Amino acid sequence: MASIELIIVFTALAGVLSYFVGRLNKVAGSVVTILASMFVFVSVAYFGYNNELIHSTEFLPYVTFSVTYLGLFFAILVTFIFAMVSFFNPFFVEKYKYPALYSMLYLLSLAGVLGVFFTNNFMSLFFFFEFVVWTSLFLIPMGRSKRAASSYYAFSTVGSFALLFAIFIMREASGTFNIVSSMASVNGTEAAIVSALLAVAAFAKLGAFPLNVWLPRVLGNSPDAISAVFSGGLEKLGAFVAVLALVKLAPFGYVVDATGLAASQYVIAALGALTIVFGTLMAIRQDDAKKLLAYSSMSNGGYILVALTIASSASVSGGLYHVVAHALASTAAFLAIGAVSRITGTTKMSELGGMIHKMPVTYLVYLIAIISMAGIPPMGGFISKWLIFQAVIDKGMILVAVAVFFGSIGSFLYVFRPLAALFLGQELPQHREVSKEAPFFMLVPMVILSGLIIYTGVLPNFFLGFINNVLTEVGVTPLVIGSYTVTGTNGVLQPALIASVFGVGVLIAFIIFIVLKKSRKVGLMDTYTAGNFIYTEELMHYSLDFYAPLERLYEKYINITKDFYKRLENKVVDLGRLMKYYFFTNKPEIMVLWIIIIMGIILWGDIL
Amino acid sequence: MITNILFGVGVAFFGFVLQTSIAGVNRKVVGRVQKRYGPKWYQEFLDIFKLLSKRSVTHGWIFDFGVIMALGGIIGTAMFMPITSDLVAFADFDNFFIFVYLIAVGMLGMAMSASGSGNPLASIGVMRALTTMLAYEVPFMIVVLTIIKLTGTSSVTGIAEFQQLASNNWFMIALPLGGIVGVMSLMGMIGKKPFETYIAPAEIASGPMVEYGGKQLGMLFIMHEITVFIEVSLFVHLFLGGAENVVLFIVKYFLVYTTLNIISSVYGRFKIDQVVLFFYKWPILMAISQAFVAIYLGWVI
Repeated sequence: MASIELIIVFTALAGVLSYFVGRLNKVAGSVVTILASMFVFVSVAYFGYNNELIHSTEFLPYVTFSVTYLGLFFAILVTFIFAMVSFFNPFFVEKYKYPALYSMLYLLSLAGVLGVFFTNNFMSLFFFFEFVVWTSLFLIPMGRSKRAASSYYAFSTVGSFALLFAIFIMREASGTFNIVSSMASVNGTEAAIVSALLAVAAFAKLGAFPLNVWLPRVLGNSPDAISAVFSGGLEKLGAFVAVLALVKLAPFGYVVDATGLAASQYVIAALGALTIVFGTLMAIRQDDAKKLLAYSSMSNGGYILVALTIASSASVSGGLYHVVAHALASTAAFLAIGAVSRITGTTKMSELGGMIHKMPVTYLVYLIAIISMAGIPPMGGFISKWLIFQAVIDKGMILVAVAVFFGSIGSFLYVFRPLAALFLGQELPQHREVSKEAPFFMLVPMVILSGLIIYTGVLPNFFLGFINNVLTEVGVTPLVIGSYTVTGTNGVLQPALIASVFGVGVLIAFIIFIVLKKSRKVGLMDTYTAGNFIYTEELMHYSLDFYAPLERLYEKYINITKDFYKRLENKVVDLGRLMKYYFFTNKPEIMVLWIIIIMGIILWGDIL
Repeated sequence: MITNILFGVGVAFFGFVLQTSIAGVNRKVVGRVQKRYGPKWYQEFLDIFKLLSKRSVTHGWIFDFGVIMALGGIIGTAMFMPITSDLVAFADFDNFFIFVYLIAVGMLGMAMSASGSGNPLASIGVMRALTTMLAYEVPFMIVVLTIIKLTGTSSVTGIAEFQQLASNNWFMIALPLGGIVGVMSLMGMIGKKPFETYIAPAEIASGPMVEYGGKQLGMLFIMHEITVFIEVSLFVHLFLGGAENVVLFIVKYFLVYTTLNIISSVYGRFKIDQVVLFFYKWPILMAISQAFVAIYLGWVI
């Protein structure tokens, strides 16, 4: 038995402890984060899975907890991601300006995340939400850019305010902050407004179009470990809110007869589809591997939105399974890139090449992660994408399907780029001497994640069974699953069969390969060059502007959203200047005049 | 289970023999179109076995591993392929999406191996292959979406049996716009002109294949033949009503492949951005309008 309150308090206290330990010894402080987050994951997963979590509170004032399958699902996943990524902390703290603070904030944001998933009170939910924003906010600038943090803050604020307004409307209708009863009490126009506001909060957290600008900046510029946490963990807070907004609250607006979908579902699905397309197109043209994965996270967030808004059993379970599959895959990919960046000091693909020869394990981890990300069997991403496809086809959403298929095929393009440019190709001389395989303790989480990615792809029924509990709880018909099969709307899938048939194929190919004559090993520079003599590796390494012919087709249009927000930012700054000019001048008499006028307006009718 | 797997391996082997023979015959057909005699029909077999017997070079473990993964993935995919409605290794599990996505494992393996060779021409070829894939796959998937929505199943045999009912036409006729899109996408899939930009022998020295020789090249040839088998038979099952018996299957298969080859032999080659622009102009418009007409208005011939 374990009390949620104690786990959260423990995490927060461990955070403070790690700060003081970190002041004495940088690495020791970060080891505390490993121990604490592993402990949190194990206790949440073990006691949560066995229904032994106690939700009563004794110490924290005003905060109440409850254990729901939905909260438990996200809590186990996100604490697992935190626990896995924490193994990277000791290897990276040396580089940060405030290593002790880093360890503390890491654990505090974990505590906040747990609070979000387990509270049953909207005010505490908002508090924990803000707590996560404020703790993670100061982790971002320890990486490469301070601007990313302000961008994150600005978009989070939009989400937070939308959440707060939604909470107030529900409070007005129900008289309580309790999540279940206040969501049940709104109906009609109020429910529509609440649903829209919560959707805005979910969009802001997931980094979906049009609130997408922060995501690539944050993921691209944060410290390597924090990018992994954001992509695998913190971004999933948006999916949690999206479940509340899109599945628990009924859709609204005109209902199309042919498909039985309401107008609000079409709008959200269309925005999700645009997120997929824009994320894919932007990911294709990145040179920085982390930015590329960041845009891929954005595009996968779009899949989650499309899936959740359709709200059928195949789509919601597909969406939730995609949360798992993408969290595992993108964390593994970010960690693999992080391992490369630790050794070479760069994540730019144009400056790297041939890392596979020194880092084969990291390469395999990245390979398994991208196979899942591209939705190829036998990895987890295939199951979720298959379920989402089923739902999209079943509802006949043609234009959304164009985006969904485009994103799926497009993901082959962008995930292959780091593979080709960073890991494969010529081994560049500047990295040949220094590079070596990542240390053992960095490989441990990566290998565990890869194992889980394969497990989710071959035997998805354990996770889908758990997701079915979530589905029952939020009021969706559970998915039909057998002991090895998954039944979608128009077909049956047996992932274990696909994996074993693939295994048989590889075995046959291996036998053919091994019985034939052995090949002679030659160097990478010993290649066909059409008669030219080339002696420099860079000239034989095709990595810059990999998809140049494709990029040329749309590069004119890539800055539209960014320019829009830039103009908005300038307008906000102008407004600030105007306010300052009229209100906060250095002449006290004008200030006093304004104060009197405002007081007069406020008190008019009551006293005056 | 073991018998099913052995049967699946048999399907893959059948596909290899069938496609290699038909490709040989087609070299003669194309030869006659271009007023040549063309090689013997079994020339393709000779090429493959010659390559398999030769001693070759390797550029490191990923170069070999990628080839094994490529051939293995494609053999695995072919094992799911139905030949007729009864001759299928894993009944009920021949889901359409398996063919689209499991084939990608093979493609990924080949791309990986090619990039691992360290030759920039190979990387350029892979880039072009993936870009072409982005072009042809989306219109094709939209047409298949229409088909799955109309038949209510995504099993390939299920779709073929649906067309064999007396009340239904083949989807090539029932969805004429979609059928045309299917043909164009199929030409992209099997890399026929004008969409063979990623091989482009005179321009980028066969693209992904540039560094291969000996057994690796032989295995990639086998992989290519089985890939074509998967894609053409997918077309036969989805658009031409599948086949009631093996002879009919071979006839339909031969007709489809030969038609594509004859069309291909009179075309030049598109540039890669032209391929993308082409597919995102007419085929996708046709696919989307076909889907709207068939799903929302219910107009199916």
